[in-house]
Amino acid sequence: MAKARKIPEIAKKPSSFCPGCGHGIAIRLITECLEEMGQDTNVMFGIGVGCSSLLGGVLETDRLHCLHGRAGAVCTGMKRVSPNQMVVSYQGDGDAYSIGIGETTSAAYRNENISVFVVNNTNYGMTGGQMSNTTLPGQKTTTSVLGRDCAITGSPIKFPELVSDQFNVAYAARGAVTTPAEINKTKKYIKEALTAQLNGEGYSVVEILSACPTNWGMTPLQSVEHIHTKVVEHFPLGEYKTREAK
Amino acid sequence: MGEMIKGNHAIAEAAVRFGARLYAGYPITPSTEIMEYISWRMPEVGGAFVQAESEIAGINMVIGGAACGVRSFTASSGPGISLKQEGITQLYDEELAAVIINVVRYGNGIGTLYSAQCDYLRETRGGGNGDYRPIVLCPSSIQEAVDLLGVAFDLSEKYRTVAVLMTEGALGQMMEPCDLPEFIEPKRYPWGFDGKYSYKKVGIFERDSMKEAVAMNEKNAVIKENEQRWADVDVEDADYVFVSFGLPGRSTEGAVEELRKAGHKVGIIRPITAWPFPEKAFEKVNPNVKGFISVEANATGQMVEDVALTVKKKFSDNKPVYSLAYVYGIPEMEKIQKDYEKIAAGEIKEVF
Amino acid sequence: MKEIVFAGFGGQGVLTSGLIVSEIAVSNGMNATWIPSYGSAMRGGTANCTVKFGNGRIFNPAQEKPDVLLAMNTPSFNKFIDTVAPNGTVIVNSDMVEYDPKVREDVKYVDVPCQTLAKEINHSKGANIIMTGVILKSIGEFTDQQAIDGMNAMFDKKGKGKFKEMNTKALKIGLTQI
Repeated sequence: MAKARKIPEIAKKPSSFCPGCGHGIAIRLITECLEEMGQDTNVMFGIGVGCSSLLGGVLETDRLHCLHGRAGAVCTGMKRVSPNQMVVSYQGDGDAYSIGIGETTSAAYRNENISVFVVNNTNYGMTGGQMSNTTLPGQKTTTSVLGRDCAITGSPIKFPELVSDQFNVAYAARGAVTTPAEINKTKKYIKEALTAQLNGEGYSVVEILSACPTNWGMTPLQSVEHIHTKVVEHFPLGEYKTREAK
Repeated sequence: MGEMIKGNHAIAEAAVRFGARLYAGYPITPSTEIMEYISWRMPEVGGAFVQAESEIAGINMVIGGAACGVRSFTASSGPGISLKQEGITQLYDEELAAVIINVVRYGNGIGTLYSAQCDYLRETRGGGNGDYRPIVLCPSSIQEAVDLLGVAFDLSEKYRTVAVLMTEGALGQMMEPCDLPEFIEPKRYPWGFDGKYSYKKVGIFERDSMKEAVAMNEKNAVIKENEQRWADVDVEDADYVFVSFGLPGRSTEGAVEELRKAGHKVGIIRPITAWPFPEKAFEKVNPNVKGFISVEANATGQMVEDVALTVKKKFSDNKPVYSLAYVYGIPEMEKIQKDYEKIAAGEIKEVF
Repeated sequence: MKEIVFAGFGGQGVLTSGLIVSEIAVSNGMNATWIPSYGSAMRGGTANCTVKFGNGRIFNPAQEKPDVLLAMNTPSFNKFIDTVAPNGTVIVNSDMVEYDPKVREDVKYVDVPCQTLAKEINHSKGANIIMTGVILKSIGEFTDQQAIDGMNAMFDKKGKGKFKEMNTKALKIGLTQI
């Protein structure tokens, strides 16, 4: 028989995400991991702008709603003066990979000892579904109405691959919050990321593929199917950089 | 009397002694020496120094440090301060205390490396989006820069606001004797993050902008009432009163001394806070004063607007306000004296 | 109050020379300001600084009307000669600068072959210190001992005290040029 999982103390307030959105699951997993690690009362969040902003209304913990894209820098400042506290950024793909690509990449480049969680739903959700740096080739959005033309807009950016290949980071992975199996795997990635920080190993990032039924124009179930068939073709799941000091 | 020290180095050392423990910034002339000094000095005292990837990242790192209740600061110039504006308005909005040092350089766009006062309006009005007023302090000597840096940290924490030390390129680069402050113990303010959520926060969607606006205006009124700072000389019997801050203010003080020796009844108000503008300084001025003369190192005359507004508020007889805007650098004492004579002779017309 | 402009190529030590004079003034209880050339001139090429010192308050630290100009090269001579106060002194590096004294007939010229003198004492980098001695003598505000002590104290503070003997020798040569 399935056992109800206890709601983490710091995430008890109701959220206002759309039906079928993956954000709620991602937040649940992060806060569960923090609680299981005994770090839920020793944590500060840098929260991005976009749908990730809604986390600010859910969490009962130290949190700063960062300017668009700047969580990588804000979390750097927090961690440098609070080395004994867990510092976590929670951002979307538009926030972390477009307007904040400089801050996100530079924090990884410096191997800042922070954990970065980027919810990738292949579009700007909060503003109504515009093309982002992770929009799939041919995907229709409100700013790519004929489908994304990669010849003039670039191809989907693969951040965990980029930092694990080019930089000396502690941990990088990509999970999905679609099925129980994938959710369980993603939770493991999240815990690995947080453990890396707790042990002072350096920068950790987990990208979390999430459904956006509202802007994709799909039902929640269609959205999950879309992730498994289309999105993962461009954003393969798995660990890209595993922790060395296990 | 202290030892000769470069303005930027004195500011950096003083910040460490005042207990600042986070600096993040990006190199830009003429403020870079602050960062260079801090880069080795901050680790010596166990503080954090980050050479940020950009001006924007730098100010956002300061937000992170300030959010934790740690004395945090940054410095920049010209276009660098432009880039920081989103962070400055964010600091203000979050009621975080932080100090921004603007070593002002001349020009629009990329600008130049000349020393200037062209950022007066931007600093005093708050250069980012929204509706806010940082406290702006303007030193005219290295000693005053050091002393005002301490005031800036104290006021920013007292009022939970942003304080700007608006210095000038020349003041950063020059040397003169300066007494450095004693070390004070750094602290973490209880309103800062500790990881335990000790200081509760209103959820971002539960904020009441109307209530916040009322509270902000009340806070601004208190700051205006209590924190006006200035120096004045010979204003009680003056026919003309100069108003000038920073290094041009210092040169104007010299010009006033020379003009007095030559028998001219002139005085000077040297604002030390640019915001709040020292309106109270005008209450001491001779009621029969013939006019006010703003002396500034910018092209258009910026502070002259505050002078004119204050004169309108404090005097009923529409006194003329003149603008001597010397673009950049430090105006020579002799030049100020000659232009004063032109004003007195009616050759330079008032602007307000 | 005295105003001195120190001007030359970058690397000729004019900024250091200015600093020595300002330190000597401060170590003898006076006020002093030192302000370097500012703007594009900071990027290689010419360098200059202005030092003001005296017992009263120094209002404007920037260059106005120098009582003494040190010209270590020709461009510096040409740039500043018109600004020198009437009856001022122009100290010229005669190893490098050619000039027509008629450009200003109301100032006093002191020609010093400072590079040659520096080579003679095997202190090729000491030309600026020799000139510092000349300036100090020309001003006449400080005794030779005050000058030597002030200079050495400054280099000690900068962690460059090991050249004390050579620098003292160079300064003394300068102090005997007038």
